[in-house]
Amino acid sequence: MLLVAVVVLALFLLPWLAGRYPVYLAIQILILAVFSIGFNLLFGYTGLLSFGQAGFFAIGAYGCAKILLAVPNLLLGLVGGVAAAGIAALVLGILSVRHTRIYFSMLTLAFGMMIYSIAWKWRDFTGGDDGLVGIPRAPLEIPGLLSIDLSAMGHYYYVVLVLSLLAIAAMYRLVHSPLGLTLQAIRDSETRAEFAGVPVRKYRLIAFTIAGLYAGLAGALLTPLENTVTPPIAHWSTSAEPVMATLLGGVHTFGGPIVGAFLFFMIKDIIVRYTEYWLIWFGVIVVALVMGFPGGVMSIFTERRLAWRLTWPLISRPGKPAPAQRHDRTSED
Amino acid sequence: MDNIAFQGLIGLSLAMYLWLISAGLTIIFGVLRIVNFAHGSLFMVGAYLAYAFYGQMGLPFWLAILLSLLGTGLLGLVMERVFLRRIYGIDEAYQLLLTFGFILILDDAVKIIWGGVFKIPPIPAFLDGAWPVFGRYFPVYNAFVIAVGLAVAVALWAIFEKTWWGRTVRATASDREMANAIGINVPWVFSGVFVFGAMLAALGGAIGIPVRVVAPGIGAAMIIQAFIITVIGGLGNLKGAFVSSLIVGILSAYGTLFFPVFELFFIFVIMAVVLLVRPQGLFTR
Amino acid sequence: MKTPFAVLSVLFFLTLLPAGPAEAQCQLGVPVIKVGVQGAASGPHSDYGRQIEMGATMAIEEINAAGGIAGCKLEIKFMDDENKAATGVKNARYLVTDWGAHFMVGTDSSGVAMALGPVLAELKRIHFFTHAATHRLTEDLVAGKGIKEIVRVSVPVYQDAIIAALIFKDRMDIKRWANIGADYEYGYVAWNLFKETLKKYRPDVEFVATAWAPFLTLDFSPHISAVMAQKPDAIFATPWAGEAVMLLRQSLIQGVFNDTKAWWQAMGGSVDVLEGISAEIQQDRFKGKLWATARYIHNWPDTPENKAFNERFKKRWVRLPNYSAETTYSAFFIMKAAVEKARSLETAKVIDAMKGMQIKNPGGVRTFRAADQQFVYNVPAGRPVMDAKYPIPVLGDLKVFDAKDYYRHPPFAPVAVTK
Repeated sequence: MLLVAVVVLALFLLPWLAGRYPVYLAIQILILAVFSIGFNLLFGYTGLLSFGQAGFFAIGAYGCAKILLAVPNLLLGLVGGVAAAGIAALVLGILSVRHTRIYFSMLTLAFGMMIYSIAWKWRDFTGGDDGLVGIPRAPLEIPGLLSIDLSAMGHYYYVVLVLSLLAIAAMYRLVHSPLGLTLQAIRDSETRAEFAGVPVRKYRLIAFTIAGLYAGLAGALLTPLENTVTPPIAHWSTSAEPVMATLLGGVHTFGGPIVGAFLFFMIKDIIVRYTEYWLIWFGVIVVALVMGFPGGVMSIFTERRLAWRLTWPLISRPGKPAPAQRHDRTSED
Repeated sequence: MDNIAFQGLIGLSLAMYLWLISAGLTIIFGVLRIVNFAHGSLFMVGAYLAYAFYGQMGLPFWLAILLSLLGTGLLGLVMERVFLRRIYGIDEAYQLLLTFGFILILDDAVKIIWGGVFKIPPIPAFLDGAWPVFGRYFPVYNAFVIAVGLAVAVALWAIFEKTWWGRTVRATASDREMANAIGINVPWVFSGVFVFGAMLAALGGAIGIPVRVVAPGIGAAMIIQAFIITVIGGLGNLKGAFVSSLIVGILSAYGTLFFPVFELFFIFVIMAVVLLVRPQGLFTR
Repeated sequence: MKTPFAVLSVLFFLTLLPAGPAEAQCQLGVPVIKVGVQGAASGPHSDYGRQIEMGATMAIEEINAAGGIAGCKLEIKFMDDENKAATGVKNARYLVTDWGAHFMVGTDSSGVAMALGPVLAELKRIHFFTHAATHRLTEDLVAGKGIKEIVRVSVPVYQDAIIAALIFKDRMDIKRWANIGADYEYGYVAWNLFKETLKKYRPDVEFVATAWAPFLTLDFSPHISAVMAQKPDAIFATPWAGEAVMLLRQSLIQGVFNDTKAWWQAMGGSVDVLEGISAEIQQDRFKGKLWATARYIHNWPDTPENKAFNERFKKRWVRLPNYSAETTYSAFFIMKAAVEKARSLETAKVIDAMKGMQIKNPGGVRTFRAADQQFVYNVPAGRPVMDAKYPIPVLGDLKVFDAKDYYRHPPFAPVAVTK
């Protein structure tokens, strides 16, 4: 806990310690972190792998954009974006959670790409392939109470930081609540959960909607940063980002997606400074992680049998499945 | 009226490329229960290898295609035996993630080896030209593609219905534990099927090279359509994949003629509807 | 659980440490002039990003060898913008705020360019645009919103649309036009501008069919077949680069060049396209009906400077320069001229120094137009033919168009940006 406090303090001091670009990068990392913990509620805790989260991310972003272009009030834009994403997640969730596993994944892929094609085609509303540009980084305003100008990157950083920390804290409470435990029970054994009287579909829908809300928040926070939204943010390759971040950091720990978001950005940022072939490095990392460390970076620190983990892929005989993941492990912070 | 019939024929040739990539995808799913995200990359590798043998080394077209199939099959073998096999026991999600990692690697690898410029080798002389059909010119090359696609369809039917290997594969697909119990070497079947699927994808990529570009990213453009087709047809259902390919190919050709608004959006809607209403596919009993 | 956070936090803060000791300064008060360069280096259009990089590299090598800009050496950093707005903006922020770029050059994608515009104003850095073709970059963002950090060195979409109209207005035998269009803004605007311009000269023409192909279409057979069903006299085509080659190849085998009188290929004079249709040109498969243009072609103007540029480029890169290479190369020399005149790297002073500038580049004489900050120049259009002097086809039968005849000028009437 002390360490978390130190990190949070450091994050608050960041604009004084570092230049504009690290602050900008930190905003992007926080956004991905929010996106990823939402995703992992669905994947790590409920056992549903969604390849369409970018759809809700985009709805959050476009929703916020349309509002800001009409009424330059940041809170309104954020709330609007999140709400739009949440509604979309609820509607699509009702359809999606009727299935699991492969069908669920493909269904979410389809929905995500449908949103992508709408963003691309509905020129009148979304700006088509050009997207929406010139979106103002509206001030944080509560009429009559306060008005903070956010054109300085540092100021916007604090807004993103506070909101992200609140979102992370809320998720922490959630996964340690009865709801969180129920989701894990559903993940571990749907049948057993049903026998225990749990309305499985309803809980999956709740998880899906919450994941959508988080994705929407992340998207809405991105809009004022870049002043632009374009269709690629709805593409399945964007859906892959929280997947990779979570995989990198660790699926079965709470902090995994956050650590993973940080690693994802730093690794990509550093790789692209040296070579244009960054895809292949990422691919190698993904393959290495799946083969050796399905638990991600966090598992390196939490699994005691590290040496065994490292050598298993080398000594296993083809045909013998690897030992099953211990799904019921969720590490404490 | 002639124009409509002609457009249908064009659609048929489009459908055949889709069929070749979907066939492999659906067979792999049917037997291994893996959705191979990297299937589009195998399609792309098939195209690049065929280009290397035909366009760069000057080998005869048919030989280049054959070598491309062998090369891609080998790649598939490595992917399956060295990587996928070791994680069969783990959560399916990781298998998806692994194949996703392959996409990233292969997409950059072809760029590193062949560079980023698109390639397009010449059309073999005997496949050049056009035949007068319905008052228009139907390219010989498109007819060739249709012929290849139909031949593959017939061959696959024959293999899976009539041969020993085909029956073995079907047995493994329907119940792998039982298959194991009666002495079928399941791991070998898995490898064989994956390689077979990879070769089908490669064939789809290879036969397109004189008329379509060979460029990084052509696999990604195809894979989404392949997913849609296999879902509509029923994951693991070969006949379903064939019929769905025809539907998607011909409909998209008519879409260009009649309603330019017809887009990817609508086939995603169909995919979603099928998944919701009849997840086993439209053609599975 | 505690350890990783500690490790990662330390790592994070380490990356923020300032760079090494202060270095010697040149006449302009900096150790070296840094220029950030962006282009598409991944995906099917990645050759254009490469060409931008090649042009930039050769430019600074030559400038540095001749003593630099006002005695200051140049350094470039190339980054892949993936043709995505978000990546382009992120790279721009990194290049300026972290790496310290004084100027930026490049960008293939119009989407990236439009997103960069407002960010350039925020970062107060000039970006020399060398490929992105949307008219809105200069008509809306510069002339309209006054973002003076935007300078365009390459010809925009006017060339693809208006020059076609100027060429074909005199072809009285061509009355029915069909469009095979790129299904995004570039395609829409080009077709709309073409129709609008041609109609002014030829009220008798009809636009009989149109088919739209999204980005990354691999098979144009249905599009070709759909427009040919309406029996057009000529075809206006905007898919470019590899898609153009595929489109032409697939059209040939559908007998399009038997049944039509002309084909206008936007950006058909680009090196990669000419390389791709080399064999067909040699066999005269297009029967002289194919017309094309490009923002620069290697065989025009026929000046010693251009020939020498081609020689040097070929020697350096083993390929002929594409238009994005020449425009990028020229951008650096424009930068040099402006900075030397201003005797400063300050954005406002450099912008000021460009007023009234006329500069001789391999592609011809470029003249700065302050109203929309474009460097306007004459370009040719012609028919691809073989020429013994070059290993790939060139554009022959050249018709040269004066900038004032095809560059739109203020006040800018809006163009329909939809289908």
